[in-house]
Amino acid sequence: MGLGDVLFGRKKLKGAKLDRLFALSTAQVTLEAELGLRPAGAAGVVFKSLSAGEFMRAEQEIDELLGVVAETSGSEVRRRQDSLGYQWLVVRDRDFEDLVTGVHLVAGELVAHGFGEQLLAAIFAFERRDGERPTYLIYGFKRGAFWPFVPTGERQERDNAEELRLKNELQGELPIEEDLSRWLGLFDAPLD
Amino acid sequence: MRRRAFGRDRGLSTRLFLTMFLLGALYVVFFVVMVNVFQFGIVPMVILLGALAFFQYYTSDRIALAAAGAKVVRPDEAPELHAMVDRLCAMSDLPKPRVAIIPTDVPNAFATGRSPKHSAVAVTRGLWNRLEPREVEGVLAHELSHIANRDVAVMTIASFFSMLAAFLMRMGMWTGMMGGGRNRDSGGAPAILIMIAVSLVTYVLSYMLILLISRYREFAADRGAAVITGAPENLMSALQKIASDMTRIPQRDLRELEGMNAFFIIPTNVKRHAAELFMTHPPLEKRLARLAQIAAEMGRPIAA
Repeated sequence: MGLGDVLFGRKKLKGAKLDRLFALSTAQVTLEAELGLRPAGAAGVVFKSLSAGEFMRAEQEIDELLGVVAETSGSEVRRRQDSLGYQWLVVRDRDFEDLVTGVHLVAGELVAHGFGEQLLAAIFAFERRDGERPTYLIYGFKRGAFWPFVPTGERQERDNAEELRLKNELQGELPIEEDLSRWLGLFDAPLD
Repeated sequence: MRRRAFGRDRGLSTRLFLTMFLLGALYVVFFVVMVNVFQFGIVPMVILLGALAFFQYYTSDRIALAAAGAKVVRPDEAPELHAMVDRLCAMSDLPKPRVAIIPTDVPNAFATGRSPKHSAVAVTRGLWNRLEPREVEGVLAHELSHIANRDVAVMTIASFFSMLAAFLMRMGMWTGMMGGGRNRDSGGAPAILIMIAVSLVTYVLSYMLILLISRYREFAADRGAAVITGAPENLMSALQKIASDMTRIPQRDLRELEGMNAFFIIPTNVKRHAAELFMTHPPLEKRLARLAQIAAEMGRPIAA
């Protein structure tokens, strides 16, 4: 926010940055070959649900949007809601490139319908070759950057050492969020 | 909650009393120093005032948290609260503040800190227990808006000018008293009287302006909360719940919290004994009316 906005207390929300999402498709080879992270075929776009008055209109438009996405990309898209009251659009596609395109399309449609400021993050699920704990890459729409997210499965704990290792490995491949305090965790993401 | 041997409420009042006492002591010391420094002229004193304001500004988060008896909690101690703050911060592109809980049943919340990077948000246990999660979210978004709008910095700067005006007034009085014993020309006394009168008016006006700024910042934070959550009605119902709970609770308990009024989401002295001009927060009805207006604005279809 600029000085004027601070002086007059005009809080505005940042719009969504979508273009850097595609860096993920390029990074796929590194993810799979070097880090042993196999795409789990699921991703989610999370956004803030709206005011009751806005909700009826949103409901209808999001349904239309789901139809458009399914038609254009062939990915499967479903709606979910989480315990914190946020809306999720879950995209499923075995092909990783299509999955990223599908997420970009969903986010793009939300922006086009005026929900851009309400977009929080996109989350991509990965499986370990050794079958260990699931690993996620989160894309912050406000930041236009990725960060790793490795929940330990116990309450709201995350494996910070592993996350920092992934950060170092991915540094050259993806736009990584440098400010560690912005690494939002998305526990219990309803991706199934 | 663990209960302390001497009881929860007494612990809180002791801490608040101590803080007020120290603050009073600080002003006494300040006044003594001011009188001693006086002979060096106005510049050192303005610097002194500036230093005091800067100290207040620099330590605002720690002072406010300590005064309210708030305890900073880790994510594993309050996972739901942390998750809520995490997402609201990501949504409003703010660094995450420290999260604290105040162990009282009075539902309330405040934010403090000189900059978004050195900030803290505190909620009372009563707020968490008595309000629905989406209402708590509205309150948190209001507090995060205070942080985003840098209200501690704005209010500190505003108070600095008020302090300066108050100081000029005292200086005028002091000069007036001393002037009687000294040899000066006959035109001196009226000039001093005018100066005292002017400083007095300046002081009162600046005080009222600070309160006006404070009320304006509250409206701004309410609007910010509506923008961040996209749901003004959640904050509206939260404000109503907080206000109604506050009037039910015995006055004794509320008075203990009065020193913190400027920071709390709803001031504890809700009784209309003061005129609106002398309130740090706008009246509930006005806040609700503005929020309803924002809700109407948001309900308008977005032009394609």
